[in-house]
Amino acid sequence: MTPEILEVRAFLGAHHPFDLLPEPALGDTARAIEVSYVRKGGVIANPDDPVAHLYIVRSGAVESRSRFGELLSRLGEGDCFGVRALLRGGVSTNRTVAIEDCLLYMLPVARFEALRRTHPAFAYFFAAFDGGPLGAAQGAALHGKTFDLLSRRVGDLLVRGPVSAPVAATIRETAEVMRDARVSAALIVDGDALVGIVTDRDLRNKVVAGALPPETPVAEVMTPSPRSIAAQDLAFNALLTMSRHDIHHLPVMDKGRLVGCLTASTLIDAHTSSPLYLAHAIHEAADAAALPALAARVPSIVGQMCEAGATAHAIGHVITALTDALTQVLLKFAEAELGPPPVPYVWMAAGSQGRQEQTALSDQDNCLILDDAYDEAAHGTYFERLATFVNDGLNACGYVYCPGEMMARTAEWRQPLRVWKRYFRRWIEEPEPKALMLSCIFFDLRPVGGAAALWDELRAEIHDASRKNHIFLAHMASNAMQHEPPIGFFRGLVLVYGGGENQTLDLKHNGVVPIVDLARIYALAAGIDAVNTEDRLLGAIDSRAVSRQGAMDLKDALEFIGITRLRHQARQMRDGLPADNLLLPKELSSFERGNLKSAFQVVKDMQASMASAYQLSRF
Amino acid sequence: MRCPPGPLKSYYRTDTPTPDTPYTRAEFLAVDIETTGLDPRTDEIVSIGFVPVVAGRVRLAGAEHHLVRPTRPVSDEAAKVHGLLDDVLARAEPLSEALPPLLAALTGRIPIAHHSAVERAFLSRACRAVYGHPLATPWVCTLKLAKRRLTRTEAVIPEGALRLDACRRRYGMPHHHAHDALADALAAAELFLAQAAEASGRAPAQLRDLIT
Repeated sequence: MTPEILEVRAFLGAHHPFDLLPEPALGDTARAIEVSYVRKGGVIANPDDPVAHLYIVRSGAVESRSRFGELLSRLGEGDCFGVRALLRGGVSTNRTVAIEDCLLYMLPVARFEALRRTHPAFAYFFAAFDGGPLGAAQGAALHGKTFDLLSRRVGDLLVRGPVSAPVAATIRETAEVMRDARVSAALIVDGDALVGIVTDRDLRNKVVAGALPPETPVAEVMTPSPRSIAAQDLAFNALLTMSRHDIHHLPVMDKGRLVGCLTASTLIDAHTSSPLYLAHAIHEAADAAALPALAARVPSIVGQMCEAGATAHAIGHVITALTDALTQVLLKFAEAELGPPPVPYVWMAAGSQGRQEQTALSDQDNCLILDDAYDEAAHGTYFERLATFVNDGLNACGYVYCPGEMMARTAEWRQPLRVWKRYFRRWIEEPEPKALMLSCIFFDLRPVGGAAALWDELRAEIHDASRKNHIFLAHMASNAMQHEPPIGFFRGLVLVYGGGENQTLDLKHNGVVPIVDLARIYALAAGIDAVNTEDRLLGAIDSRAVSRQGAMDLKDALEFIGITRLRHQARQMRDGLPADNLLLPKELSSFERGNLKSAFQVVKDMQASMASAYQLSRF
Repeated sequence: MRCPPGPLKSYYRTDTPTPDTPYTRAEFLAVDIETTGLDPRTDEIVSIGFVPVVAGRVRLAGAEHHLVRPTRPVSDEAAKVHGLLDDVLARAEPLSEALPPLLAALTGRIPIAHHSAVERAFLSRACRAVYGHPLATPWVCTLKLAKRRLTRTEAVIPEGALRLDACRRRYGMPHHHAHDALADALAAAELFLAQAAEASGRAPAQLRDLIT
């Protein structure tokens, strides 16, 4: 039997994905290697050349370009290439050239295929490596870490169907239903419709303490029109609603149908996690001065959730929900200090808070929409003080003032509905650069406190106007091309289009923002209300704004880039450093580098197809 | 041919390629041996490592490594160099069993070694001892190729510049720790690929340019 050459095995074993192979397979792989040497400038493969090996760079560097000369990748020691060709029947699509003298390890295709067949982890790596589905690789990365209550859907947590009593029942009959089902609340229904809820607490406080006879109709003691939650909502939101309104039972609706009742104790028993307590503590806070200490705990939650294997999507929701809670209690304190509002208002979160995509590092973007009964002379001072109170309070909590003053305390962004309508009309009809910049912020609005109906009216109007305005969408599309992902990594550097190399990767501007921008346009074009990027992508599938594959790939890319960014920030905070968006490539494993490269490629492809859809070459 | 039937005779009966053959069409076998000392008349082979070079690539699947039992105990000095202790070598193959696989692998191939004079002398003497005939074959010496190349550009060749690791580094190859005969054979094979690539113009270098 052929002996192993220790150096070869050690080299493979130190590089991904060969490090995933068990010892015997690693030895067999090392024995199957062929070694070749290519001088600088030497061509390793031209387009349409047959490729029968997986290549691993032992030393030196190679570059791949498309048949049109576009730089696709630059690879150094330990990197693999030739995968795309092998996965496509052994024909090279690119031109691969040595840019330094190279020693290359070559693994025959039969051996490569055998390893992919027998070692799923190894196969997953290559699935993502070169044009395969990114989601599969992520699945492998997150395997075994799927338990995360906060990011689960309410509907998935229900242990039983609804326990209900008809609205015509007596208190005694209702109590019997509750006893027999061993539940602490009964849902009161009229036919299929939910009309009320009765809890143990009602039986104690209203019936026993109130000395009501058991034959009294239950309708007299029930809480009518109780708050409910959708089965698709995150469990975290359910807990937040309970905490905010001091209730312990939430009827769950699925597309208008009553499907069960969620109780606080079930959830708390299942998972006592600090975001829940923190949300509760925020809602219980005595005054605004107590909030900064509570908000200071938010960053550690990012770290905890990262470690627990939560998705970036879920972490964004949780962190945003905490910001929402802070905003809501600040509004409550402001109203307590200033008195009730003279006209209805709605407090709108914009930017990442609006999209429910906040990280531990977010400034504040918000605005106020006021009822058209608003009179500057009579009500101006009230709302200026309310806005300043909340903006100051958020700033004290670490959500620093928006450098662009896009905050409710700025008079321009604290206006009655009719003025907002005019703003949006102008932005849509005259999409000059400033208008486009503002559109990126104010098309991501979400009501956080006050009279949401004001927003509903504005939303309906602007979505209609923007969807029909192709020129506006084309300008937005052009604007969305400004931020470009890099090509990938080379040695310790970030390789960008044109062949330049950067020290760091800006995970925000060259990672998340391009996807957020694309999704916003899909949503506007499709007339979808959603503001969360993932919701926009999924919602746009059914329209013709984006293909299913394209939307799913972008969703996976967003998740991968997003979780990389959150982990980077969690590491910084753990080390006592201020969190930022600038990642050094050496922080990444080669598995992560491979997946990020695939994610960047997805974004680049989708940008290109949007450019062509809107004929952006004419701009 | 007076050579008796056996591995050496089979080796001789196979044609070697002509001098105008491009190196990418010829087959080679990079060989390294470790010995009890430097004198082929008194010292003995303790290990043999080899790996083929086919179509311009080192083929690890054909690599072999043999420990050889010397007839006399190994001196402490020699043991320090190759790291092979008496108790390991006591269980090793005798020379008569280690040579046939080498000769089989060498059949139709040109041997390569770094400082091939050592391998040439020891292996030839070994063949004489086992088969009664020397091993007469052309060799590719990567050290001589390196010296030839350096003489073109340097007036004086610096001390140590011809060592295997130093030669490899000039071609950007990873650092090589000499530690066993097979690893050294692989290191020499890789160096040969670089030297042959450098000696090639538009067409691959021919054997006449490489055999030393």
